[in-house]
Amino acid sequence: MKVLLAEDEPDVQLIARLSLKKAGFTVVTVGNGAEALERIAEERPDAILLDWMMPDMDGYETCKRLKADPATASIPVIFLTARVQEAEVARAMALGAVGCIGKPFDALALGKQVLELLEPR
Amino acid sequence: MTIRSRIFTVVGVVIAAAFLQTLVVLRVEGRRADSTASLNRAIWRIENQAELGRLIVELDASQRDDGSGAWAASPDAGDRLWGLYERAAALLPQSLESPESRRELAAVDALMREWRRTPAGDEKAALMGRIRAEFDRFEIRERRRFGDELNKVNSQSLQATLLTLGIPAFAIVMLLVLVAFVARILLDPLRAIANSAQKISGGTFDVSLPRESRDEIGDLVRAFREMITAVQRRQREVTEALAREREQSEISAALRAKAEREHRRLQATVDTVPVALVIVDAETGRIALQNRAAGALIGCEPDDHAAREAYWRAFSVTTRDGAPLDVRAWGAGRVLQGQTIVGEELVVRHPDGREIPILVSAAPLREDDGRISGAVAAFQDITSLYEVDRLKSEFVSIVSHELRTPLTSIKGALQLLIDGRLASDPDHAMLLTVALSNTERLVRIINDILDISKIEAGKLELNARPHAVDEVVKQSLQNVEPIAHGALVSLKADIEPGVPAVHVDLDRVIQVVVNLLSNALKAAPPRSEVTLAARRAGGGFVALSVTDRGRGIAPDKIGLLFQKFQQLDGANTRRARGTGLGLAIVKALVEMQGGKVSVESAVGSGSTFTVTVPVAG
Repeated sequence: MKVLLAEDEPDVQLIARLSLKKAGFTVVTVGNGAEALERIAEERPDAILLDWMMPDMDGYETCKRLKADPATASIPVIFLTARVQEAEVARAMALGAVGCIGKPFDALALGKQVLELLEPR
Repeated sequence: MTIRSRIFTVVGVVIAAAFLQTLVVLRVEGRRADSTASLNRAIWRIENQAELGRLIVELDASQRDDGSGAWAASPDAGDRLWGLYERAAALLPQSLESPESRRELAAVDALMREWRRTPAGDEKAALMGRIRAEFDRFEIRERRRFGDELNKVNSQSLQATLLTLGIPAFAIVMLLVLVAFVARILLDPLRAIANSAQKISGGTFDVSLPRESRDEIGDLVRAFREMITAVQRRQREVTEALAREREQSEISAALRAKAEREHRRLQATVDTVPVALVIVDAETGRIALQNRAAGALIGCEPDDHAAREAYWRAFSVTTRDGAPLDVRAWGAGRVLQGQTIVGEELVVRHPDGREIPILVSAAPLREDDGRISGAVAAFQDITSLYEVDRLKSEFVSIVSHELRTPLTSIKGALQLLIDGRLASDPDHAMLLTVALSNTERLVRIINDILDISKIEAGKLELNARPHAVDEVVKQSLQNVEPIAHGALVSLKADIEPGVPAVHVDLDRVIQVVVNLLSNALKAAPPRSEVTLAARRAGGGFVALSVTDRGRGIAPDKIGLLFQKFQQLDGANTRRARGTGLGLAIVKALVEMQGGKVSVESAVGSGSTFTVTVPVAG
C-alpha cells in the first residue's frame, strides 16, 4: 500500500515515514501541498496523509483541490495534525477526509491507525 | 350706665330746660303785662293828680282877685271849676293804691271843702295855704311812689329779660356739656383707640388704652384690648412660626448643601472608579447617578435625563450566548427584589455594531427601614479581559502546536528506537524508556493545558453518541494498565449487570475515567486494589466510580479538589505530579455532558470519586 505523506517538518516527516515503512507502507514524502498535487498523478497513492499547516499550500487547500479534481477525488485523505479540535476534525470531514490523526502520533501505531481509517471504505 | 342712657339723660335735661324756659317765658310775659298795666295806672294817677293840683290852683286864683270871697270871674265859672275839682277828687282815689295816699287825699279834700265853705278873707287864704302845702306833700310823696313803681317795673322787666335770655343760655351750656361729654366719653376713647390702632399698625404694642368704663366704649376698649392681645399672640405665634420656619429652612438649606456636597463627593468618587457605575431609583426607574465610565461605556455623556434615557435605550444587551435581555427588567426582577448580582457576563450591543462584553455586579440600595429604594450596578468593560483571554487561548494553541511538533519527532524517534532494539545496552534501553515516558507526560500536560484553555474559552465541543458502559470501562482500564502494572496495583472492574448504555463523547468520558484512575493509582499503596464501578444512579444517569485504598483526603481539602492548579500534596512530598488541571477538566467535561462529580473520602481508608453520565435514549 502506497501513501503520499505531505509534511513540511523534516523530523516529523522522517518519523512518520519510518513508522509507516515499519508498518509495511510504501511512503512518498513531499514538503507541502503544492508538491503533493504535482506528485499525485505520477505516484497514484492509495492514501494521502496531509499535514494541516504547511507553507505555500496548506492541507486544507490541498484537500479541497484533490476532492475538486475527479482524477484524485477518490483517493482517501487523512489529516495528520496537531489541531485535533472538534471544529477542525469536522471541517476536515466536511472536506471529504476520512479522518484525522493527532500529533504527536504514536509512531508504533501510526500504520495501524491509517489502516483502520481506510478500512470502512 | 351706657352711652345711650347718658345721651338720653342729657337730651332729657335739655328738653326739661326748654320746657322750663317756656314756663318761665310765660310767667315773665304775664308779669310784664301786669307791670305795664300798673305803669299805665300810675301814669293815669299822676295825670289826675296833676289835674287836681292845677284845679286847686285855679280855684285859689278864682277867689283871690277881689277879696270878697266871690268867684273872680263869674260864679258859674267858679262852680264849674269846683265841679271839675269834685269830679277829679272823686276819681283820683280810685287810682291810688296805698290807703295812706287815699287818707292824705281825703284830708286835702276835707280842707278844700272847708275852704269852700269858708268866706273870703285871711282865714280862707290861710286855709288855702295849708291845702297847698298838704297837697304838695301828697304830690311829692305820690311822685316818689311813682318813681318806686317805675323802678319796680323796670327791675321786673330786666329780670324777665334775664330769665328769657338765661334759659337758652343754659340750654346752650347743656349742649356744650353734652358735646363735651360725648367728646369725652366717645371721641376721646375712640381717638385713643385710633391712635393705638395706628401705633399697632406701626408695630408697637405698647399703647395706653382708655379706662374700661361700664359702657359701649368700655366694651369697645375691652374688645380692642382683647384684639390687641389676640393680635400680639398671633404675631408672636407668627414670629415664632417664622423663626421656626427660618430655622427649618436654614437646617434644610444646610442639609441640602450637605447633601449636594455629599452628592458631589460621591459623583467625584464614582467618576474616578474605572468601572461603569449606575444608580437607579426604584420609584421612578430613572438613573439617579452615573459616572464617567458609564458614559464612556455607552459612548456619550448626556446632560439630562431624557438624553440619558434615550441613549440607555439605544443599545441592547444580550447574554454571552447572544440571547436578548431587557437589562432593566433583568435588574428590576432581581436586584430590586433584594438579590445581589456578582459578576455576571453580559454583552452590550451598540447600534453601530460594536459589542462590548461587560461584567455586571449589582446590589439593592436600602433605606433605613429596609425598603429597597434603588439599585447600584457596576458594569465592567471586560473587552480587554476577553482580548487577553483570546490572546491566551491563541498563545496556548500556538505554543501547544509548536511543542507538539518537536514532541512528535522525539516521541516517534524514541518509540522506533526502543521498538527496534537499537540500544543493545540495557541501561540505554532504560534511558530511552525514561525519555519516552517523560515525553508522553509532556504531551499529557500540553493536552491538559489545551483542554482547560478550550473549556474556558467555551470552545470545547463534544461529540456525544450512545456507547456501552463496558466499552468505556474496558478502554479506560486498558489505558492505565501499564501504570497499574508499574505501581503494583491491581485494577478491578465492577459493572452492575444490565447497566444501560450511556450517551457520551467516548473519548472525553474515557479521558475523565482515565484521569480518575490515574489519580487513584497514584494514591493507592502497592498491592492494593483500585476499583472502577458502574452503577445505575437514577434520574437517567449512570454513575462511574473509582475507589482507591489510599490515604484519603482531609474534609477541608475536598472543596479545593476540582479547582484549577490545585494539588493536594505539597511540592516536596507529593508522589504524584501533574498540572493540577486534571480534576478541573474532569468536572468541566462531566458537567458539559449534564453529569456531576462527587467525592467520598475518609482519611486513612481511601477515596471514591464518582461521575455521572446520562443514559442513552
